[in-house]
Amino acid sequence: MTSHNKEEQQISPAEAQKQRDFQEEAIQHINALYNYALHLTMNPDDAHDLVQETYLKAYKFFDSFEKGTNCKAWLFKILKNNYINKFRKNAREPGKVDYDQIKEFYHSIKDAQSDSEDLNAGYMKSLMHDEVYQALHGLPEEFREVIELCDIEGFTYEEIANMVESPIGTVRSRLFRGRKLLREKLNDFARKHGYGTE
Amino acid sequence: MSAAVDGELSEREQQDFDQHITWCISCAREYQESKKTKHLIREKVVRFKAPESLVNSILKLTDSPS
Repeated sequence: MTSHNKEEQQISPAEAQKQRDFQEEAIQHINALYNYALHLTMNPDDAHDLVQETYLKAYKFFDSFEKGTNCKAWLFKILKNNYINKFRKNAREPGKVDYDQIKEFYHSIKDAQSDSEDLNAGYMKSLMHDEVYQALHGLPEEFREVIELCDIEGFTYEEIANMVESPIGTVRSRLFRGRKLLREKLNDFARKHGYGTE
Repeated sequence: MSAAVDGELSEREQQDFDQHITWCISCAREYQESKKTKHLIREKVVRFKAPESLVNSILKLTDSPS
């Protein structure tokens, strides 16, 4: 007598299970997704919307996700597609890099974060975080993207190839060339500040 | 080269690679440089956390029936 009464707010056991599974599998990747969205959009509000839409879509199509496969990769792919559909259509000019804008953006978002990662001595002590960030964002998008997905997010070549819709060979060569370019940029930064390069 | 840096070589390929860099100086150097760059990116690129409002709104979406 009371089937499908929306006011009752009762959900089926299947739906409840779906929610639990989703929370267990998908929610944990929210920071990585947000980070990726920021890289793509360079705008916190856009990144926010993008992540939200991604999760909405992911939840809707969660039944099509194969349990046991890489959920993070699946979510990243959805996000990327959303990004392309939403933002690429009104694309900025490709190849135009505004370093001041990147620096400003980086600092504004860093200040807003109460606990971003600590400054780490690392290999090239002379380089500051913002310079590395700038150098990375100065790369052509196809190089920057694979470096992010590989070095920052830790996806395998196969997963990356699927996400960027290119053969593995292309991923390999982009990583090789991208890292090389990045090195050159970082050396430039180091030189400008009077440090020796290694 | 990048496959070696990222641990994406098969066992056989890895063996060949290890052998190669014992005598090829330029490849050995390139390998070291690439590893350094990768390490640098991992260490130095700041990762941002999702703002609380975003996390909450997403948790909400899976709490209510759709």
